[in-house]
Amino acid sequence: MNSHLKKLENESIYIFREAYRSIKNISMLWSLGKDSNVMVWIAFKAFLGKIPFPLVHVDTGKKFKEMYDFRNKYEKKWNIKLIKGDCPPVEEIDPSLPPAARSAARKTEGLKKILKTYQFKGVVAGIRRDEQGTRAKERIFSPRDESGKWDVKNQPPEFWDQSNFNYPDKVHIRIHPLLSWTEIDIWQYIKDQKIPIVDLYFSKNGKRYRSLGDKDITSPVNSNAKNLDEIISELKITKVSERSGRVMDHEQEDVFERLRTKGYM
Amino acid sequence: MSFDENIEIPKVVIVGHVDHGKSSLIGRLMYDLGEVPSEKYKELKLVSEKRGMEFEYAFLLDALQAERDQGITIDTTQIFFKTKKRKYVFIDAPGHKEFIRNMITGASSADIAVLIIDAHEGLKEQTKKHAYLLKLLGLDNVICLFNKMDKINYDEKKFFKVEKELHQFITNIGINITAKIPVSAKCGDNIVSKSKNLIWYDDETFCEILDTYNIKKGSDKLPLRLPVQDIYKIDDKRVIVGRIETGELTLNDELFFLPSNETVKLKSFEAWPKAKRKYISGDNVGLTIEEQIFIDKGNLISHVTSRPKLMNTFEANLFWLSEKKLKVNKQYLMKINTGEYNIFIRKVSRVIDTNNLNSKHSSLSPEKNDVCEVIIHSSQLIPMDDFKDNQKTGRFCILDEEKIIAGGIINLQNFPDQKDVVQTKNIKPVSFSVSEIDRALRFNHRSAIIWMTGLSGSGKSTIAKEIEKKLFLKNYNVFVLDGDNLRAGINRGLGFTTEERTENIRRTAEVARLFSQAGFIVIVSLISPYISERKKARDIRPEIFKEIFIKASIDECKKRDVKGFYSKAISGEIENFTGISSPYEDPTNPDLILNTEKESIEESVNKLENFIIKEFGMTNNS
Repeated sequence: MNSHLKKLENESIYIFREAYRSIKNISMLWSLGKDSNVMVWIAFKAFLGKIPFPLVHVDTGKKFKEMYDFRNKYEKKWNIKLIKGDCPPVEEIDPSLPPAARSAARKTEGLKKILKTYQFKGVVAGIRRDEQGTRAKERIFSPRDESGKWDVKNQPPEFWDQSNFNYPDKVHIRIHPLLSWTEIDIWQYIKDQKIPIVDLYFSKNGKRYRSLGDKDITSPVNSNAKNLDEIISELKITKVSERSGRVMDHEQEDVFERLRTKGYM
Repeated sequence: MSFDENIEIPKVVIVGHVDHGKSSLIGRLMYDLGEVPSEKYKELKLVSEKRGMEFEYAFLLDALQAERDQGITIDTTQIFFKTKKRKYVFIDAPGHKEFIRNMITGASSADIAVLIIDAHEGLKEQTKKHAYLLKLLGLDNVICLFNKMDKINYDEKKFFKVEKELHQFITNIGINITAKIPVSAKCGDNIVSKSKNLIWYDDETFCEILDTYNIKKGSDKLPLRLPVQDIYKIDDKRVIVGRIETGELTLNDELFFLPSNETVKLKSFEAWPKAKRKYISGDNVGLTIEEQIFIDKGNLISHVTSRPKLMNTFEANLFWLSEKKLKVNKQYLMKINTGEYNIFIRKVSRVIDTNNLNSKHSSLSPEKNDVCEVIIHSSQLIPMDDFKDNQKTGRFCILDEEKIIAGGIINLQNFPDQKDVVQTKNIKPVSFSVSEIDRALRFNHRSAIIWMTGLSGSGKSTIAKEIEKKLFLKNYNVFVLDGDNLRAGINRGLGFTTEERTENIRRTAEVARLFSQAGFIVIVSLISPYISERKKARDIRPEIFKEIFIKASIDECKKRDVKGFYSKAISGEIENFTGISSPYEDPTNPDLILNTEKESIEESVNKLENFIIKEFGMTNNS
């Protein structure tokens, strides 16, 4: 492994171990996407082969069939303790949001339900700073109030690997071990470690998915990259952003910030 | 385009006063490097137009609505891009004084610091505060950019005026300036390409400077520091996990644990899917040890040699982030690496006004965003290093009501390592209700053993008498142990053979130790002729022991012969007389030499007085 990836992996392992020792009762989101699988892989490394907390799949019911197949296969193969949660129908979501964002916000509500049921104090999520402008402003350990709100204008200090862990009872902490990774780092790591992924990421008929979401609000991008090496080469020169196929990001200037301050990942 | 993928990606932080152009600079740099995707450009053009602005480069980073509406950066952002030579992570830090905690959050992880200053406005409050904070964050080198050159018509004279002012300020802090570049983020001058408007500047552009910047590393070369992060029970194994902060670790190494002072051999590395035989700084390790000893989270592992210090009192420089003022003698929680300790701030020595680097005279109670020097005490022993020796184990944060409210770096110069006090495996230190630090804080000086050695007649007793008087008048607790006087009491019955001299010195040193523990400056006046015996005396409390050589030649002493001993020794009336019938070994490396043949008693006493006050006085109260 090259020293850059090694450094990222080390940072992430340290975050996992800090989270596990400092926050009682944590879980990890497993969205079945590439980042999510890298996260599971690093958790195996952090905890020496057995992840000591459950994984959570917040299921919108609108994922691709390939993703469900993948979930069922690796839940067994990796011996994962998995919590499957559902999401409320779109009619129950804030109607002032534009349509795709409103649909995506179902996931926020699904997550809140799980947090309430299991009383998790920490949730590991695989977001990265390079994905989106507001994610670039995230802390590694990021508190959310009772309603899941992110108080972006008043984030806690975080320096020298020291963070705040103790918050009032109803607050939970989002844990972000992949914050410093970029899209190309994820692919190089997948290649280096031979981590399994859903094959929707590979090109078929000139198109592939760069980012996986609900099938009705996610579209593939033009690409001929059929394997890991070709994906990595493509990413070195592309000017198209990773989430360009995610309709929700482009509906309004502030839509992602609105989603996130309300508790979206 | 190809990169060496084995190169680590430098993190660059941009700091400086609000509105001096930090976000714009990064935005412009990305744009000039062709790193802004076209769809992003279009999106931001619309966003700028919506707000009635020309294209605003800062919006690439200021993603929040409030940031765009108010035109300021609220929270720190990290953004990734590449030049022709390598990849970078750029950290944008807010310049507004309300958001110092966010600035620190951003800057604390940086490898390279860039200070940006509006060439039109010159140095402002946050320019200076940020520069000072860089120093506390261990960023000793800085690239200085003079932005908005277009606003001063690219005027060379105006540039040099601001440049001179900045240079002086930065150098006074103790930071080294790597480069000074006139730029305009708005117009793209000297960012990526050379400016045609700045022909008088023939040095490199910002991008060129970055690409050739060497990041100092060296964490592997420092001694091993491995804080215990957690202990996992896996099957029937107890696996100690932690990250190697500095140094290296190899299978079969002997490990030294602090604060328990125990040495145990490393048995195995544990990892998934497979362990290696050697790990380096930055690596997370899992390991088991040969013997089951008590180990807790927060313990610090080193090798048996080059150990960390074990402290219960130390000095620190703090940046204070809390709305509440610092309170002396209130209990706070300190987190250092993976350890947590209850501490008290015993004294605020100085609050620094970062505008002029002087002390804030009016106040010794630091408030939000102040930087200050303090003395910290804990009833527990805390493993640590001086920040100058090891940044990773020489810094900490302070929590109040479970929130981080301050950060600090450690200065261990003035307080003794408690590890030397707790040498034996089975002896635990007894803590008394009044500690040495309590006494030091009351007396306003630390305790000391000032050991004066020299021939009979060299002037020891005379100097001792004078120094005692002078220090006493300055409110020092000072006491003289004189060889002749001690022989009348505690050392009665001891003669002058080698063995008896050795015992004489041992007893004197032990008495000196007791006085030092009582907070005194002890002046020992004793011929103490042998190097080896003086070494033993020093070893009792090496951290406060000072050897003072009172130098005068044997001929001069014979000539003085104040007490008439020399004539008696020469005639054989006195046996074993140092210098005549018994040897005197000159100190090879004394802490101070007072040559009484060349200087007057007054000069010698003044020299000694300055030495003691400098080494043991607790300053800043005068």
